[in-house]
Amino acid sequence: MTDRTPMVIGVGLTPFASNREDCNVRDLAVEAVLDCVRDAGIENLDAVEHGLTSYESDHFNRQMTLGAILHDTLGLNPTPNVRVEGGGATGALALRTAWAYVKSGLCDSILVYGCETNGKSIASQTANQLFALSADVDWEMMVGGTYTAFYAAMMRVHMEKYGTKREQFAHVAVRNRRNAAANPYAQRPMEISIDDVLNSRSIAEPYTLLDCSLLSDGAAALLLATEDWARQRSSRFAERPPVAFTATGCGTDTMRLGDRYPHLTNFAGKRAAAQQAYRSAGITNPLEEIDVAELYDSYSGVEIQAVEDLGFVPEGQGGPAVADGIFDHDGALPVNTSGGLLGRGAPVGATGIAQAIEVVQQLWGEVIPERQIHNARRGLTDTHAGIGTICVVNIFERQD
Amino acid sequence: MSESRVTSLVERKNMQAKWTGERDPWEAFRQVEVITLELTQSYRHSLGKYSRFFLELENGRFLGTRCPTCHKVYAPPRPLCPDCLSITAWQELPGTGTVQTFSVMHFPSLVNDDVRRLETPITLAYVLLDGGSTLFPHVLKTAPESVHIGMRVKVAYAESPVQHPIHLMYFVPLEE
Repeated sequence: MTDRTPMVIGVGLTPFASNREDCNVRDLAVEAVLDCVRDAGIENLDAVEHGLTSYESDHFNRQMTLGAILHDTLGLNPTPNVRVEGGGATGALALRTAWAYVKSGLCDSILVYGCETNGKSIASQTANQLFALSADVDWEMMVGGTYTAFYAAMMRVHMEKYGTKREQFAHVAVRNRRNAAANPYAQRPMEISIDDVLNSRSIAEPYTLLDCSLLSDGAAALLLATEDWARQRSSRFAERPPVAFTATGCGTDTMRLGDRYPHLTNFAGKRAAAQQAYRSAGITNPLEEIDVAELYDSYSGVEIQAVEDLGFVPEGQGGPAVADGIFDHDGALPVNTSGGLLGRGAPVGATGIAQAIEVVQQLWGEVIPERQIHNARRGLTDTHAGIGTICVVNIFERQD
Repeated sequence: MSESRVTSLVERKNMQAKWTGERDPWEAFRQVEVITLELTQSYRHSLGKYSRFFLELENGRFLGTRCPTCHKVYAPPRPLCPDCLSITAWQELPGTGTVQTFSVMHFPSLVNDDVRRLETPITLAYVLLDGGSTLFPHVLKTAPESVHIGMRVKVAYAESPVQHPIHLMYFVPLEE
């Protein structure tokens, strides 16, 4: 039996922007999928056996059953479709689902596309309320809590327990926005200083405006298939280094931060997801064995927590490690070369797919030279929902 | 913009192709119209097996639930202990506790009238209630600069009417 590990055949993206009012959500999906078809070197979608819609925010659109609508818009009928939703982790969970569909033999090829209009279609204060619906509404949201405050409360314990400093997580806010400057598709490239971050207006202490990620419009698409399918259908497959989606891990945690007491500093679900993925990929020293990673920087401090939970550094040492530049573009393990959620943007259903696209393009050696990491062979994406409530870690590797 | 017969019209414009390179494949699709859609709804929201917590707040009593198997005390209450899958029992707590973490919010959520009435900044405190095993998140009404991890607080009960029964309570500093 041939190996059914899914290969990445093609990728497509729209630019992420705060307001793509020239497009509705269908138009965005179309742009990303056309880009993906071109990139995959396939003539059309006729040979694609399955569609997978990655979409989270029903309340942002006056349209439910978006899986069916988009599938139809893209001309994928009558092939099967499934929609995947997992909060902030939606895109990564979609890819994980697609991985299982191919691996199991349910299909040999699957088009995963995600899109969202989280930018300006709804006022940002209403948008924050709608996102708060993904918290425990009866107990956390009705008292007046916000996601920024939940994350901020976690970070405060991290600061108290490990001595993590605001300057250290401000480093993430500065670096990821600087990385975004080398990404023409990024929403908010900025050249700012640590002082700019510390002095921007406070949202929920200790987080300021520049510690917070973006609301975005955008779409992303990625075509996965078996190697046999790719060799028969894709004119570009043989042209570039083969990249496989080799491993995936998923872990969960309680909805409410308070139910994790006394473990408030870190994401236990992320730790579980990473361990599964590493076991499956045969990784024992992730800092050494991973060359490039896209981490879920919904808030600057979250990246510090993530480098600990992904096992890049021991718990409590994320702050100094980040500030030392280990995860900068010229560091030992460059992360968020795309600009991350802070600089590139975060249209939820597209985010996890876009993270994977950045990693895959780094492995292919196809990003613009200012951003390219030389000789990257293995990359990781880290994506989560809520405050680490559903965590997904996906791993991509060159096979040559 | 010329006069329109569309009353929900926000804007009509001709968009420029910002990202598509020299030749715009969507050239014939660049006239854009943006309209407003409304969606207002109310929910008949049952508080279900959690209801007694809210009913007792009105009597000035603070209840958690206790697992008969592992003895963990949940506040907020859980009718089912997720660790043991045992049905829990109601247990009154004294309502005093200790702040384990907090955030001072400078932008209020607009989730209900009770929250809208709060003056910013608002302190969201996670409190380990004496006799409890989990942290209860709620507003701590005091000067934000005085809040710290380890601070002693107690449940206070609202005197004026509230929209959502969770606002029948809040936290205040405990003077010991």
